[in-house]
Amino acid sequence: MTWLEFPYFAFSAIFLWFTGVLLALVRLRGGAVILRDVLLISGTLLPLAFVLLLWDSLERPPFRTLAETRVWYTVFITVIGLVIYYRWRLVWMLIYTMVMGAVFLIINYVNPDTFDKTLMPALQSPWFIPHVIVYIIGYAFLAASSLIGIKGLYQLYRGKSPDHTLWLADNVVYIGFAFLTFGLLFGALWAKEAWGHYWSWDPKETWAFITWLVYLLYIHFRINKKSAIRTALWVLALAFAVLLICWFGINYLPSARSSVHVYST
Amino acid sequence: MWKYPWGYREGFIITLSVMVAGFAMQLVKGSGVHLPGWPVNGIILVVFILYLILVHRYVKHPLIRWLSSSGAAIASISVFTLLVLLMGFIPQKDPQANDFLKMTGLDHITRSWAYLLTSLFLLIVLGFTIMRRTLPFSIKNTAFFLNHAGLWIVIVAASLGSADLWRLSMSVNEGQVSFTAYDAQNNGYRLPFAIKLMDFKIDEYPPRLGLMNNADGSLKIKKGDKLFEVVEGSEAQLDGWKMVVVHYYENARKNLNRYEPTSMEGAAPAALVLAVERSQRDTVLGWISSGSHKVSPSFLPLNHEVSLAMISPAPRKYSSSIRIYESMNEYEDFTVEVNDPVKYRGWKIYQAGYNEKKGKWSRLSVFELVRDPWLPVVYTGIFMILIGSLYLVWMGRSAKPTAKQ
Ligand code: HEM
Repeated sequence: MTWLEFPYFAFSAIFLWFTGVLLALVRLRGGAVILRDVLLISGTLLPLAFVLLLWDSLERPPFRTLAETRVWYTVFITVIGLVIYYRWRLVWMLIYTMVMGAVFLIINYVNPDTFDKTLMPALQSPWFIPHVIVYIIGYAFLAASSLIGIKGLYQLYRGKSPDHTLWLADNVVYIGFAFLTFGLLFGALWAKEAWGHYWSWDPKETWAFITWLVYLLYIHFRINKKSAIRTALWVLALAFAVLLICWFGINYLPSARSSVHVYST
Repeated sequence: MWKYPWGYREGFIITLSVMVAGFAMQLVKGSGVHLPGWPVNGIILVVFILYLILVHRYVKHPLIRWLSSSGAAIASISVFTLLVLLMGFIPQKDPQANDFLKMTGLDHITRSWAYLLTSLFLLIVLGFTIMRRTLPFSIKNTAFFLNHAGLWIVIVAASLGSADLWRLSMSVNEGQVSFTAYDAQNNGYRLPFAIKLMDFKIDEYPPRLGLMNNADGSLKIKKGDKLFEVVEGSEAQLDGWKMVVVHYYENARKNLNRYEPTSMEGAAPAALVLAVERSQRDTVLGWISSGSHKVSPSFLPLNHEVSLAMISPAPRKYSSSIRIYESMNEYEDFTVEVNDPVKYRGWKIYQAGYNEKKGKWSRLSVFELVRDPWLPVVYTGIFMILIGSLYLVWMGRSAKPTAKQ
C-alpha cells in the first residue's frame, strides 16, 4: 500500500459517510437502520485499513509525517463521532466529525507526503506509538468539545439553557484533557530516554504545555458552577485555536527555529 | 472589592503584582535566579512544607482560606500561563536577544525572578488546596489528591532539583580512554570513572534514487513521489524513466570510469543503473554514487535537464561499545544506543552523536552523561498524575445536571 492508492480509499470513505449521514438525518425503520450503520462504520474502516496497510508496507509505524497523523486523526475523530452519536443521539456531532474527517482526507489528497521509509534513530522507541496515539485521541476529544462549546453559545443566543450542553462539554473535556496529560507525560518519559532530560522547554514542548494549561484553566473555571457560563463557553471554543497553533502554527513561530520536534512534511 | 471572600478580581490583582514584583527584582538585581544545590535545596523544601502545614493548621484567616479557592487557582494558573505563553513567542536562550529582553529576563524566562515568584505563588495555592480538600483523607478524594499532589511534587522536585542536575558531554575516539566531560559552558570535569570507546557502529538505510536538476543541482522531489531504495536488482519508475539497478556496492571506489567494491575508509555506496525513457526508448547506462566525506558523488546525466543522483543513506541506528574503568584493572563492558542509555553509578550515559561529516566512517562517538538525583521524586509525581488522569477518564464530570437549574 502506498499513497498512490490513497485516493480510492479517501473518496470511497467520503461517499460512504455522506450517504450514511443523509440516512441519519431522516427517520428510518428496519433494514434502512442497518444500512445506515453499515455505511457509517465502513466509511471509518476504510481509512483505518489504508493506514494499517501503509504501516505494513513502510515497515515502520506511520506516525511520522503530518499526512500520516492526519489519517489517524480522521479515524479517531470519526470513531468518536460514532460513539457520541450512538450514546447520545447527536446527529450534528456525527456530521461535524465526518466533515472533519473528510477535510483531513482531502488535505492529504491535495498535499500528499513523499514516500519515505526512513525513521531517524531518536524516533525508534517503544514510547513513540503510545505518545502519538494518546495525543491524537486527546486532540479529537478536544476538537469535539470546542464544537459543543459553539453549540452552547448558539443556544444562549437563542435564549435556551445550555446546561445539558455544558455538562456534555465538561465530560468530553475531562476525557480529552486526561489524554493530553498522558501525551505530555509519555513525551517526558520518552525524552528522558532519548535526549537525557524529561523537559527542556523546547518550543514544541512549551506549546504543548500551553495547550494543557488552557484546558486546565477551563476545568477549574467550571468548578465554580455559578461563574459566567458564557465566558466558559468562549474559553472552550477558543482553546481549540491554541491547540491548533501548537499543532501547525509552531512551524512558523520565530521561537521555534531550534525545535527538534517540528514535523517534516 | 477587597471584601472577603475574595474572587477572581482580587486574585488577578494579587498574582499580577507577584509577577510584576518579580520583574522589578530582576531589574534591581540585574541577573536571573540561580537556585542553590544540595543540601540547601533540601532544607528549603522541608521549610516550605512545614510552613504550608503549620499555616494551614493554625492560621484561620480568610486570606488563607482564599488561597485555596478556585478564584486563587484560576488567577495563579492564568498568570503562570501568561509567562509560558511569552516563552512560546520569545526565542529563549537566544544569544542575539536585545537589551530589553536581557534586562527583564524575558530571554530566559525559566531563570527569571518573575517566573520564580509566580510559580512559588502557584505552589502555595496548590499546597493549601491539597490540604484543605484532602485533610482528613477520604477515599472520595483519591483522584483529586493524585492529580494535585502529583503536580505539586513534579514542579517542586524539577525546580529545586535543577541545581543538582549534571549534563555533561564527552567525545571519545575509537581506542581512546577519557576521564573528562564538559558542561554547556565548556568547563571540564573529571569523572570518578573512565570511558574507553571500543567500537562505534552505524547501521544505515539503503541510499535512494533521486532526479537532480542539472541547472542548479537541486533535487527534483515532488510531494507524493516515491523514493526508491537502491538495492541490487531493484526497479523504479521516475518521471517517465524506468530504472534498473544492475549492480550495487555498499562500499565502492572509483576506478577510471567504473566503481569496484572496497573496504577502504571513506568509501561511498555506488550503483550501476540502467535507465530507459519509456516513450523515446532512450537508454542510458552508468554509475551513480552518493559520495562521502572523502570522495565526490557521481551523477548519471539522463538528458539536458536532469541527472540521476544517489541520495546519501540515512542512519538507521548507531551505537557504541564502551568499556568503563573503575580503576586500571577493574572494568565493565556496555553498549550505548540512541533511546537506550547505560546506567552507571548514578550516571546515565546517552549516545548523543558522532562525526556526521564522516557518517558511517566516524571513529568518534559523542556521549551525554546525566546525573539527576531528584529524578525518582519527579517520576513519583508523574506516575501519580498518570493514575489520577486514568481516574478522570473513568469518572468523567460529576453528576448530570438536573432538569431545572
Ligand atoms: C494535574 C493538574 C490538575 C488536574 C488534573 C486538576 C483537576 C481538578 C479537578 C478535576 C478538580 C475538580 C474536583 C471536583 O470538582 O471534585 C479540581 C479542583 C480544584 N483544583 Fe485542580 N487540577 C490540577 C491542577 C491544579 C492547580 C495547578 C491548581 C492551583 C494552583 C488547582 C486548584 C484546584 C482547586 C482550588 C480546586 C477546587 C477544589 C475544591 O474546591 O475542593 N488544580 N482540579
